[in-house]
Amino acid sequence: MRAATVAPTTAEQRAFEHWQARRRWARAGLVYALMLGFAIIFVGPLLFATISSLRTDPLAYPPTLAIPQLQPGNWTAAARLGQAGARDRWFGGFAPGAVVPFEIAYFVPDGIEVIEPEVVVPRRRPGAGLGAVLAIEFAADYAEVYDLRRLPDVPMTVGDGDLTISGRRVAYAFEVRYLGEGPEIDRLPLDVTATVGMRYLESTLTASRLERRGRTASFDNITPGVLGYVLRNYVRTFNEVRSPATLQSLFLVWIGNSFTFAFFRIVVTLAIASMAGYALARLRFRGRGLIFMLVLFSQMVPLQVLFISNYLVLRDGIVTVGDFTLSSLWGYPGGMLNSLTGLIFVTALNAGAVFIMKQFFESIPREVEEAAMIDGASHWRRYWSVVMPMARPALGALTILTFQGAWNDFFWPFIVLTSPETIKTLPIGLLSFRNTYGAVGDWGLILAGAVMSAIPVIILFIVFQRYFLEGVSFGGGKE
Amino acid sequence: MRTKRADTVAAYLFLLPFLTLLTIFFLYATVRAVYFSFTDYDLFREPNWVGFRNYLALFQDALFLSALRNSVLFALIVTAIQTFLALVMAAVLNQKVRGIGFFRAAFYMPSITSSVVITLIFLWMFQRRGLINYLNESLQRWLPILVAFVLIALVLQVLQVLWERSRALPARWTDPALLVVSLLLAGAAIWLLTTLGMLSPRDVAPVDFIWLQTRDTIPAGAPFWLSVPIPLAAIMIQNIFTTIPTFMLMYLAALQDVPKSHYEAASIDGATATQQFFRITIPSVAPVTFLVLTLSMIGTLQMFDQVAIFGDAAPLRSVVTLAYFVYNRMFPGAQTPEVGFAAAGAMFLALLTLAVVLLQRRLVRSEGY
Repeated sequence: MRAATVAPTTAEQRAFEHWQARRRWARAGLVYALMLGFAIIFVGPLLFATISSLRTDPLAYPPTLAIPQLQPGNWTAAARLGQAGARDRWFGGFAPGAVVPFEIAYFVPDGIEVIEPEVVVPRRRPGAGLGAVLAIEFAADYAEVYDLRRLPDVPMTVGDGDLTISGRRVAYAFEVRYLGEGPEIDRLPLDVTATVGMRYLESTLTASRLERRGRTASFDNITPGVLGYVLRNYVRTFNEVRSPATLQSLFLVWIGNSFTFAFFRIVVTLAIASMAGYALARLRFRGRGLIFMLVLFSQMVPLQVLFISNYLVLRDGIVTVGDFTLSSLWGYPGGMLNSLTGLIFVTALNAGAVFIMKQFFESIPREVEEAAMIDGASHWRRYWSVVMPMARPALGALTILTFQGAWNDFFWPFIVLTSPETIKTLPIGLLSFRNTYGAVGDWGLILAGAVMSAIPVIILFIVFQRYFLEGVSFGGGKE
Repeated sequence: MRTKRADTVAAYLFLLPFLTLLTIFFLYATVRAVYFSFTDYDLFREPNWVGFRNYLALFQDALFLSALRNSVLFALIVTAIQTFLALVMAAVLNQKVRGIGFFRAAFYMPSITSSVVITLIFLWMFQRRGLINYLNESLQRWLPILVAFVLIALVLQVLQVLWERSRALPARWTDPALLVVSLLLAGAAIWLLTTLGMLSPRDVAPVDFIWLQTRDTIPAGAPFWLSVPIPLAAIMIQNIFTTIPTFMLMYLAALQDVPKSHYEAASIDGATATQQFFRITIPSVAPVTFLVLTLSMIGTLQMFDQVAIFGDAAPLRSVVTLAYFVYNRMFPGAQTPEVGFAAAGAMFLALLTLAVVLLQRRLVRSEGY
């Protein structure tokens, strides 16, 4: 292309042009490769945590992407087993009348005697914390293993290169039945223990883990259904963690609290910041410079200076005159700690939002208002009917940034919302997940909760990317 | 005159909600924190005036000294590394290519998600049998192959450049077209060597580095003020990871405004890529650098969330920061709250932040930006 636009040249010059074009192409290729590399580095941890959250034990070593939950063979098996266990191919279970067929195969080297494996439905409590307390019914009390039979052997060799071991594939089939009447149980765990030398190969559903030096193939649930299998930790997040008092699913409550907090914080921020921004941008009055300086200065003072007094203010119900506390107007005579209302109060002071609105109103030409001014419209009319409709883009951006701020906010909820568990927002709730489950190394539930709580902001970011990028120039970096 | 007065009344009505909140939650709060810092208030008894005793006691308190050391080292190390890496990455990526939007979105992912989510994921990765130790182990295992790859690519690059120069083409040592060829050929050579069995990964023991439950420091046995506790280093790594993209994109925006002609002129004068980076890139983005340094210092000096989320996963002394010290003295669990002492710590943090901002502002002014 470029050669065509310049005057005809000698063969040497054309070769040189050609050489330079090749270098440009190569440089673009390298830049793309580097960007891809950086993208992998920055998205990698989130993505890897998301994939690992599907694993039975995300801490199982070594970390890998080849996990049974991502193999389609296990999906169909999980659906079939869920159907057999409780006529539910999605979430599975173990219900009266269930007959669950299962197969397990071993590799047995030549010369090792085959002994029939022992199949047991163990009394295993799921997880830690409340989940363990709430599980009252055990599949072990209702399940019986029937009809354990050896299938025909198939000769096979394992290993590669010089190290091959010849032997055979020995498979067993059996059924687990629900005996008599009883409740429907969430899960049907299973332990299959073989003799030393028999190596676990495969089973209808891949074993959750191998214990006792590989002798015991242990299954957390052989009737999971597709979602119960692939999204096991996610289902646990909702089902297993409940309030001891009301048995509500805590994770659901936290999601609700987070949305409520975000909604009211957006409404309050938009109202207060647009009014204050309008006054600072458009009206001339004594003290304007001082107030604007305070707006800037208040953003520089660390939260740790403010929270001491603000905590006490909330505790004492904002203003106390004699027996009257101001917070009783909102129905909190005993102070506003551990309430979303208190949290909204203490986070309603948002000088950054005032600053953004002021800047935006200053960018609207004054002529727009002058027509209204001649008509003698009040300041309120000018603000509400003239300026605010024009401010939709700024209000939209502020809404999104405020939502992100509220959804991700850690410090104030951490101070204000300490008990009971049902008052917490998602970030603080996740922290109590960590305290309960992290201590016993059960990271599946923590990662699942973390991944889910990141989803709303990620969706918002993908849809409204532009606003986030502008937010950087408004408010600078985030730690 | 009348309109002016009407304006003032209207303005204060518009500002009423904001000013009320500002008065209660900022002005009153600040004044009260200053007052508390001079008293022995403990939430239960009436406060008594104690003068500067709290401030003096800070510097005899082991936890505060740990917090001060941790905060200062954290701020300096993280700021230095993330600013430098952000600039280098931005300079490398400063090309007009299509599809940058997709990559920009990807780079932003860590900085839009909440500190809790990121910290929990990193806590998981820093477990003894976690991803970080596994990557370290893998690196050691594949090191021979990696070294061989780099050496072969280097030799190929040198040979190619020498050959092109012998044909009178002005190839640089970092010529991109030749680099692509070198990398591809080196990859092919490694594949050949491994399939022939002449090169293989080493056998290494699993890496069992303890990142969290440890009181050890880096470097081990260094003087108190120079030693970084290992759990704090883990938070540093996380913080650098989450903040680089934001700063990198700020730099990228600034770099797009640097005229291409500067680089072309330097290139004609024979300046190398490194010289161009130090002589052109760094000076032209100096205003952004000051902004980035200020934001980074403020953010890192006030680091709180990660310490709170780490909780009992790491020893308190190894991760405590000034911000967390204040919280810890205000809510010390079973002990009596030391509100006055906490307030003194908070004032110290505020003054430190202010000093950093003023210092940087003065630097900016003296440099003439």
